[in-house]
Formats: sequence, C-alpha cells, structure tokens
Amino acid sequence: MSVFSHFRTSVRNVAGRATVERELDDELRSYLDLLIAEKVKAGASPDEARRAALLKVGGIERVKDQVRDERPGMMFESAGRDLKHGLRLLRRSPGFAAIAIVTIALGIGATSAIFSVINAVALKPLPYPNSDRLVFLTSQFPTLGFDKFWISPPEYLELRERSKSYTDVAAYRITAVNVSDGTRPERVNAVAVTANMFNVLGVQPRLGRAFTAEQDLPTSEPVVILSDNLWKRAFGGESSIIGKQVEVQGRKRTVIGVAAPGFDLHDAAADVWLPMGLDPANRQNRGSHYLYLVARLKPSVTRGQAESELLSLIRQWGTINPGTHTPNDSTHRLQLAPLRDEVIGNVAKALWILQGAVLLVLMIACANVANLLLVRAEGRHKEFAIRTALGAGRGRILRQFMAEGLVLTTVGAALGLLLAHWGLAALLLANPQSIPRSAEIAIDPRVLLFTFVVAILTANIFGLAPLLHLGQSAVAAAIKEGGARTTANATRNRVRRGLVAAEIALAVMLVVGAGLLLRSFHNLTAVDAGFDARNVVTFGVFLPQATYPQADRRAQFEDELARKLRAIPGVQDVAAMTGLPPNRQVNANDTEFENVPMGPGLPAANVDYYNTTSVRYFEAMKIPILKGRGFTPGDVGGAGVAVVNDALAKRFYPNTDPIGRRIRSSGPANAPWFTIVGVAKDVKQGGLDQKVGTELYFNIEQGPHVNGFAPNALNFVVRSARPADALAPAIQSAVRSMDPGLPVVQLRSMESVFGDSVSRQRFLSLLLGIFAGVALLLAMIGTYGVLSYLVTERRREIGIRVALGASAAGIARLVLRQGLTITVAGIALGLVGALTLARVTQSLLFGVSPTDPLTYFAVGGVILAVALIACMVPAQRAMRVDPLVAIRNE
Amino acid sequence: MPPAQTNLLQGTLDLLILKALALGELHGLGVSRRIEQITRGTFDVGPGSLFPALHRLEAAARLASRWGPSENNRRAKYYTLTAAGRRQLDVETGNWKHIAIAISYALEAT
Repeated sequence: MSVFSHFRTSVRNVAGRATVERELDDELRSYLDLLIAEKVKAGASPDEARRAALLKVGGIERVKDQVRDERPGMMFESAGRDLKHGLRLLRRSPGFAAIAIVTIALGIGATSAIFSVINAVALKPLPYPNSDRLVFLTSQFPTLGFDKFWISPPEYLELRERSKSYTDVAAYRITAVNVSDGTRPERVNAVAVTANMFNVLGVQPRLGRAFTAEQDLPTSEPVVILSDNLWKRAFGGESSIIGKQVEVQGRKRTVIGVAAPGFDLHDAAADVWLPMGLDPANRQNRGSHYLYLVARLKPSVTRGQAESELLSLIRQWGTINPGTHTPNDSTHRLQLAPLRDEVIGNVAKALWILQGAVLLVLMIACANVANLLLVRAEGRHKEFAIRTALGAGRGRILRQFMAEGLVLTTVGAALGLLLAHWGLAALLLANPQSIPRSAEIAIDPRVLLFTFVVAILTANIFGLAPLLHLGQSAVAAAIKEGGARTTANATRNRVRRGLVAAEIALAVMLVVGAGLLLRSFHNLTAVDAGFDARNVVTFGVFLPQATYPQADRRAQFEDELARKLRAIPGVQDVAAMTGLPPNRQVNANDTEFENVPMGPGLPAANVDYYNTTSVRYFEAMKIPILKGRGFTPGDVGGAGVAVVNDALAKRFYPNTDPIGRRIRSSGPANAPWFTIVGVAKDVKQGGLDQKVGTELYFNIEQGPHVNGFAPNALNFVVRSARPADALAPAIQSAVRSMDPGLPVVQLRSMESVFGDSVSRQRFLSLLLGIFAGVALLLAMIGTYGVLSYLVTERRREIGIRVALGASAAGIARLVLRQGLTITVAGIALGLVGALTLARVTQSLLFGVSPTDPLTYFAVGGVILAVALIACMVPAQRAMRVDPLVAIRNE
Repeated sequence: MPPAQTNLLQGTLDLLILKALALGELHGLGVSRRIEQITRGTFDVGPGSLFPALHRLEAAARLASRWGPSENNRRAKYYTLTAAGRRQLDVETGNWKHIAIAISYALEAT
C-alpha cells in the first residue's frame, strides 16, 4: 500500500504541480501567520512579531526547496524546470549553443561510428550458432617461413579420422568461377566445401538442402548451391530454381539449394558453393596443400585439449605413415585458432586504435565545451553567488548546470548519431573491402546504448566543470569582488589553461599517430614493385576445363587473344601471366635444382611463386632483365627454358652463375628439365609491404610441347596510354570474338590494383588523418577562445600598462607569452604521451619507426605554428586596447 | 535548559513527529509546539527541518493531511497518523528503547 501511495503522491506531485506548489505556499504562509499570532499574543507588537517570525523561518524559498527535495516526483518537476531553464539560456545565446552542439556532435558521432564498426567486426560473434566452438586449422612450415599455410587432402582426411576433439572437421577452398544462366556469363566468388561444411557451421540452406556425402565424390553428378544474393540477382529469386541446371566453368550443374541470406565463410563473399569432390580413398599428393579446415569442438572439449590432441597426432603421424610427407613437430606443424580470430585478422587492433583516437577527439571536444561553459559560468558567476546567498542549495545549482549540459549533449548526441549514420555509409562506400564483416556493420541497439552512455558521461563532465570554481569560497569571493575585474580568479584561469594544455596534448598525440600512418602509407605507395605499373590495364580470363580440355588449345587461345589485343589502336604491348602482382598468395612449389646441394641448414627446395607467362611478359611489364635474357619467340618451339628472379638466384646460386643450370618441378622422375636463361629483377608478388619471395618463370607458349601444360587462369596486361574505361569495349569485343561464353574479369588499371592492395592502410591513415585534423581544429579554437577571454579580462591591466608607456610590441609579447606557455606545456605533454603510445601503433607502421624523430619534430612545429595563429588575433586585439576606454569602462 | 535547535538525527525527528501526532491531529506549528512541550523544551524544531519531514512522512503514507480552520480562523494543513504511521511509531519506540538502554549502559560502563 505504501508503494502505491508513494506512487500516487508522485503522480499527484508531477501532474498537479501547480496545486501542490500552491498548497505548499499556503501551508507555509499559514505557519508564518500562526507564528506571528503566537508572538503577538505573547505581547510583541505586530511589526516586531512579524520580523521575529520571518527570522525564525529563515527564508521561505529555502524551506520550499528543501520540501521539494523530499517529495517524490518533485525531483522530476524541478528537473523539468531546470531543463526549461537550460533551454531558455541556450536559446538566449544561440552562437554558443551551436558551437557547443556541433562540437559534441562531431565527438559523439565519430565515437559512435567507429564503435559500430568495432561492434560488428570485433565484438559480435560470427553469424553461426555457437560460433565460439568453431576453430580454424592451418599448417605451418617454419623452415620455409610460412606461418599460416594450407593443409593437403590426405592430411585433412587423416586428421578427420584420427581426432576425437571435434564433432566434425570440414575443409574448404576459396576460388572464383564463371557462372552462366545460359545467356550472359559472370565471374563470381566461389567456395568449394566438403559436404559436412553446412553442418559444421550449423547453418542450413534456405531452400533445398546441403550437399550429401554421395554428392561430394569425384565421380558424383555435378551439383551446386547458390548464394541468396546470386539467386535473387541472376535467377529472379524463383523457388523453382531447385533442380534446374546452371553452367559453372562451362559445365552444367544441378542447383540443389540456395544458401541462407548473408551466409558466407571467411569473408569470401561467395556466390556459389561447390562440393569439393575429394576422393576419400586417395592418399596421394601428400605435399599438395590447398585446403583450409574448419572444425567444431565437441561441447565437452576445450581449445587447450584440442591443441594437445593435435600435438600428439602430429607426433604419431610419421610412424603411422612412414616414409611419406607428413606433419611433424619441427618442419610441418598443424595449428588451430578460433575461426573468429582468422576472419577478423589483425584489423581488430587497428580498429581499437581508431577507437582510442576518436575517444581522444571526444575528450578534446569535451574540454572545449567545458571551457565554453566555464567562460559562460564566469559571466553568471554573480548570478549564482546571489542565488546561493538567497538560499538555493548547492545541489540545485549543480543540477542546473547538469541540466544545461544535458540539453547540450542530448541535442549533440542526436545530431552525432545522424553524423555516424552518414559517416558510416560514406566510409563503407569508399572502402568496401578493407574491413572484414563489413556487411554486418550497422547502428544497432548496442551502438545506441554505447552512445547513450557516452552522452551521459559527457553531460556530467560539462555539468561538473563549471563547479570546479564555484566552490563555497568562490561564492563569498564573488560577492566581495563586487563586479570589479581583478586577478583574484586565478584558480579559475588555472583550470581553463589546464584544459587547453590538455587539449593540445591530446591533439599532439593524435597528429603524431596520423603523421606516422601517413608516412607509412606514403612509404607503401613509394615501394618499387619491380615493374612499371603506369599505363597498364589488366583483366582476367578463365578457360574452363570442360570447353578447353587440351593444353595446346589454351596456349593457342592466349596467343590469338594477345594478337587481337595488340591490334587495338593505342596498345603498345600485351602479355599474359598466371600470377598477377601484387596480391598473389604464395604457392610454395617443391622444386628440383640440378646440382644444387640440398640438406639440413641449406634452403629448402621450394619456390614461393611459379609464374607461367607469355613471351613478351618482361617487355610488356617493363621488368628489367639483370642477367642473361627473357623469353624470345624462338623459345616457343624450342627446348624448356626458365627465367628466375634475383631472390631465387641469390638463394640457390649464391656463388655461381644460374644461367645454364637446370631446374624442374618435383614430382614424376621423367619430368622435363628447364634451363635457366635469365635473371629478372624482383617483383613484389605478395604485397607491397611483404618481402620478395623466390620466383620461377615458365613460358606459356612452349608449355604444351615441353611438359603438356598450359594454364586455365590467365591474367592479361595491356600497356597503353589510354585509360581502362576507353579500352574496355575493345577488350570485351576481342574476348567475345574468341569465345562469347567467357566473362572478362576485373578489368581495371594496374594502378587501381595497387590502390586496392593498400586500401586498408589508406583507410586507416585517412580516418586517423581526419580525426587528427578535427582535433587540431578543436584545439586551435580552444586556445583562441581562452586567450581571447584572458585578454578581455586583462583589458584594464593592459590599459594601465599602455598608459604607463608599454609599447604595443610589449603588450603583444605579454599575450603571446601566456599563450605559448600553455602551448609548449601541452606539446611537451603530448609528445611524451605519443612516445608512451608508440608501442601500440608499431604493428601498423611500414618503413617508419614509431618514435621517428622527424615526425615528432614536424608535429611539434605544426602545432606550435597553429597555436601561434590562434594567439595572433587576441594579441592584436590586446595591442589595440585604448587605455582611456579600458580604464574608464571599469 | 533553553530550547535548542539541536541537530536531530533524521530518524529521531520522524519518531518525535509520529509521537506528537499520536495524541491527535495538529498543524505544522502545532507539531513543533507539541514536540517542544513533550521534550520539555529540549527541541525547538524549525520549519526548515519540520516541513521536509512532514512531507516525507506523508509521501510514505505514515501521515495523512487535510485542510481545516486554524485557531485564528485561517486555513491550516492538519496532519494525522495513518495506521501505517501508528505501526511505525510502535516499532520505532521499541527500537529506540533498546538503543537508549544500550547507550546508557555503554556510557555508565567503567
């Protein structure tokens, strides 16, 4: 009952606010009357009685305030009044309100935007049921320097048979295929999976069903599962698609299912799911590593237990399969990690750094707004002093500040969320592939909650800041000051200067971080890729095994298409190759080197990249030949020749001339030898920030008659001064004239290929650069604001100084010194902070030390210059102070 | 001993108000005077403590109030104990006696 009546009183207090107020008024008035009557009865004169009674009550308003504080519901009522008051004050100074709100919106918007990225990428579990039970298995070849490598089919099959830690182990391989509904071909991403993959991930197709073990054999009828996206895009989302046939890689496959919307693996953006078709009985080709594994831990098994089981399996492997290529403890390990870590990769760290950066921006924004509020509180100093003297509790005044802060932050946060929404959209549009799981990024309830908490915290900071100088003593001081501008408010100025110094320090830290990242990015783009990427257009063509079964037909196709492309006006040169730099993955080929000693302590007989190229490859790519020669037309019909890169020559022929030595792919004993005819300059195959691997070049045209090989996947490069868009129609029609069923894949300029390869670094440095710029701007505004205020406050002093004969330059020095003291303190603090944080950014940098002195000096200089500019205007204003006006005004 | 505006513990003031009202309906000044009387002039409760306490107790349904004519024929707000208020008075009285005895033992201990 008590709770109910409490509630009823609250409702009455809020609802019938006017009545309650009036009743309280009446009650106190009647109390006063009774008191006066009592005193008159005791013999006092009416006037005396009245004075004594009023004295006793000690301030009707104060009593009312105390009652209000006690009554439930009254809190809301007074909060409502505070809010209204806050709104009114802000309306009265729209300039101040606008600056404060925009500052807060920028801070909160940036913070929420980055948080929503972190939320989607790093915090949310992967979109599979119980995804924390999923692990990712890879191999490791320490002697070859491969930290994360694929697993071979026999290893997969044996691991699946022997391990007990998992409910099941599935394998996959990411690839790309030509798909056609019969009319226009399309090149799409595909994932080949073992039949159990859908069960391991725990997500079934939305239509039809997953692959069965019988459909996943080398001899099975070809089937396919489409992505929800491809099904809607290319097949109109008709459920009658099940059982229909589509052409994949020139081969008809029956559609047995449509995957669930958004279903994907390892950010492959898969549009087609194919059965892997491994032969469970085939345990040959043990060294052919091309599978990644995903396993689901049994509910009772921990990751630690699975790891120790894996280790003991590795140790037994050699004894169960003696004399073969098997995993072992030293040179060929297997490892497992949470699938989530693999998908997110190292981007989580970069994102947390960004989050740290935006929090710094938010802090600067807070400091700025707190400063603005301080300046305003300064103006209302006497108002508050009088209100305190009249009996307003400190709690009331505090609440009023809070209310003002709350109004500012609520509006700011709402605007910030809008900014975050637009910012995210722009961000994702500009950098779609630089963040994993980007499809899952959205402003969801968790982001809203985060924004809410951040807003509440900021509101508190703003609310409390002005109180720093509104202590009890300040009340007394303000009244005593009596409006005269004295230097007595040194404490307040100290707080304000401290805030600005802190702002500058934070800005320095951000700008140093951004500077280091920008230098890294610049270093990356300045890396010599080993070939001339300017004026080159590239595209890919895939020749399906079904329609191009013979090697010589494929080589012929390449030759003929190259000739057609060369005939396009403006084309200077054309070449084809299997591996397009700079985004190749290592393919680690076991290779035999004739008369090169092998053994422990010597380099393993393995080449990082094989590249099969057309004759004109080195000329078209403008890769310098360091020694010997490149391929020549004479090689086409001649004996097997190969070109090696400088890294390979140095690794395997350190003291001898590689020219004339012979080399061949490990495998059958009768494999033909290739004679090395030249050494080419190193090309950055694996990425601009990676070290160069060893590379071996074969010639496409001679392949069919030397070893019966010609590649299916070809990348063409077309050297021409004309842009990719201008060449595209001619290239398309050249390919169509050869085979209308072949899609032209990823036709673009080589420069954009390079741009994509550094997109994550560009994304990071761009964002951090924007944040640093905002921080710099805010710090500049902060410095300017505080100095202007200090100058205004010291007008009389300056006037007196001028009257006593101080020169204009002397006055300017006075102001500048004040500004520079703050700035230098801030810069020093910021540089120390940046050095402390250097360790964090290290892993994101390329070719620049995290303590790079040049960056630190430059940033210090820039900030100093910016602060000087911010000080200039107030200094000039100080110089123009007219002593007569200044002194008379006071 | 002169009437002192002794700082009362909050619970004590509530207890005194409940006790003062146990004998019948009173307005604010009446409560203050009754407390002065029953404490033999020890406590003179000023309006700054009295009214917040009255409103707090009313909000907690320990007291009920109504408007009625005062002795000088003006309107005044009269408070009475509710059943809950009476129960609380009993409980608090018991508690207080325990405490008072305990404290006086403590202070007499040698």
